[in-house]
Amino acid sequence: MTFNEQELVIGCQQRNRVAQKQLYDVFGGKLFAICLRYTKNRTDAEDVLQDAFIKIYENIVTFRNDSPVEYWLRSIVVNTALNHLRQQKHLKQLDDIDGHENVLAGKELVLADFQWQQLMEFIKELPIGCQTIFNLYAIEGYQHNEIAQKLGISEGTSKSQYSRARTLLQEKLNKETRFDDGSVRNK
Amino acid sequence: MMDPSETNSFEEQWKKVFQEASETPPLSTWEGIEARLDKEERKVVPLWWQTPRLWYAAASVAALLMVGIGLWNGSFSSEEKKDAHLAAGKTELVSPDADINTSSESSVEGKTAQQKEAVEVPSIQPETSIAQVESERRRKNSAENPAIIKQDESLASADTEKQVEEDRAAVSSFNNKVAVRKQENNPVSAEAVAGNKDLTNTDKFAAAQSNNVSVEPLNPANLDAASRIVAEALTPIGYKDLDVYVQKRYVFFKPGTITEKPVEKVSKNREYYAAVGLMPATFNPDVKVTSPPAAFANANASRQSLSGNSQAGTSYAVQTQGGKRLSKHWSVETGMSYLQGNSTYEGGYLLDVATSRSQNVLQSALMDKSGQNSGVNTPTSSPPANAFYIDVTKEVRNDYRYLQVPVQAGYTLNPDKKLSYSVLGGMMANFFMNNEIESASGTVITTKASDDVYRSLNWAATTGLRFNYRLSSQWKATLTGSYQKSITSGFKSNETLESRPYLYGVSWGVRYSF
Repeated sequence: MTFNEQELVIGCQQRNRVAQKQLYDVFGGKLFAICLRYTKNRTDAEDVLQDAFIKIYENIVTFRNDSPVEYWLRSIVVNTALNHLRQQKHLKQLDDIDGHENVLAGKELVLADFQWQQLMEFIKELPIGCQTIFNLYAIEGYQHNEIAQKLGISEGTSKSQYSRARTLLQEKLNKETRFDDGSVRNK
Repeated sequence: MMDPSETNSFEEQWKKVFQEASETPPLSTWEGIEARLDKEERKVVPLWWQTPRLWYAAASVAALLMVGIGLWNGSFSSEEKKDAHLAAGKTELVSPDADINTSSESSVEGKTAQQKEAVEVPSIQPETSIAQVESERRRKNSAENPAIIKQDESLASADTEKQVEEDRAAVSSFNNKVAVRKQENNPVSAEAVAGNKDLTNTDKFAAAQSNNVSVEPLNPANLDAASRIVAEALTPIGYKDLDVYVQKRYVFFKPGTITEKPVEKVSKNREYYAAVGLMPATFNPDVKVTSPPAAFANANASRQSLSGNSQAGTSYAVQTQGGKRLSKHWSVETGMSYLQGNSTYEGGYLLDVATSRSQNVLQSALMDKSGQNSGVNTPTSSPPANAFYIDVTKEVRNDYRYLQVPVQAGYTLNPDKKLSYSVLGGMMANFFMNNEIESASGTVITTKASDDVYRSLNWAATTGLRFNYRLSSQWKATLTGSYQKSITSGFKSNETLESRPYLYGVSWGVRYSF
């Protein structure tokens, strides 16, 4: 039996440890997956998740039920991950990258044949700037101007980094093939 | 540029893949979170907790509550008795409901039977009866749903356990309330709940608690608590009605404070000072002719010669001082002053008929002294032969000039205030410079220190009261009232003349402290 979101939020607002644990149990997995996407290793991801949940518990009193709690939680995790990257100085130098605008034009992309873990590894293999911007734009759904504002970069840089990320991902996907047994292996 | 539809497809695919992506974090992550939460809870100790005023307020509120509860109990005790009787009657009516429950669950049957017995115990408390009535009323209303009653029973038992184990009960309380609300919205049998594989740990814990205590006999006290919790739990509580306890945080911050330069203490314990002043004064040499001069004796005016006296004249002194403050109150000072002491002498005079020259008594006395000491610069060195006394009082000018060196101690009152007062006392060394006496003929007789008529050093006692007004940290204005009285005669020989000058003066000056 699980509680609904409102009950969990109320419990967490009351600093009820059981509710806090249940919130963690319910959303921790998804949020940990986000942390993994934004970091390069599991240790960093765990650190980000810890920091994020501390922030969540501290600030959940400000949460209003005008949107699903999961959106709110995801945004906190993403921001925490970005802060982590800033602290690690990974986002210091993000420059414009030219020449990747039309690489994917006309190419068909089918991700259904891949497991999300495999795709996440592809993302994690990207340069950190591409990784971050790809996550923000393609998966979190931020616009380039929003990303530019978040990361303190120009909108053009965001676009070019994203384009570069797409190209690199496409190249990785093209190297993979799917076998009948469902496994994904290098060509 | 990329095709928008293709771009959309690209992002949508990625988004869809990761929308439900989930990976269980390691157990250590939650342990870390929990440790940090514990640490923060210990750390956030509100400072108002230490405020005595809050405790006073809390004590006042507690006292008021106690008084209020006492009054309330007193006024409603009769009504409670009435309710107790009513409760006993209603308990009989609800027994069929209990039978319905017993058909579905043996443990519940046992409990219900025991509850019935408990209700009929004569020593039952009024509050228990009220709760039981409420409990039975709700049971009747929900008779068509035995699961709820059973759940209530479990909850009651869980609360009984809560009295034994505080921490575990706090957990179950939260879960139970929520669980009951869910039961009301979507009635499900308790067995189904217990058998649900998706139960969270805490749910299982609560359910286990319910099962464990269901076989225990209920005593009246437990029944009281159980009934109350049932009544409370069955009341629909909206989410908005739930109390949200928010830790009030007091954030203390230190704004950019302006570091004030400490004001230099005005009155330092050790300080030197220098002062200058001008003292208008009245100076009286207090000259007395102690024995008649020879000329006056010859003129049979010995008695008259002794009747003269000095009158103070307007004088002034220019002063410089230097001092040292020894302590907060005590100070010593010295300096150098130039005193112009003007006075007059009133006395008769002799007229030499032969020469028509006159000679006042002071002049005559000085001539006698000059004869003894030789060297007084007088117009006539010999007394007139045929002189006679003119019994007319005549004032002659008698001016002195001294160089003064005072040594004084001072005791200052209110040394740190803007206006302070100093009491002064000490000695004054008066170095004789010269004396001018107007002769009877109008000429001026000047006597210098080298003439050996006057003492070159004449000691005087001095005292005074000084007002110090602080103009700044270093400057003060002073107003000093002084009195000086010579303690030795001004003349080297007291045979014919004696002088003990004294002075009243008010000095105005400024003082600079180093």
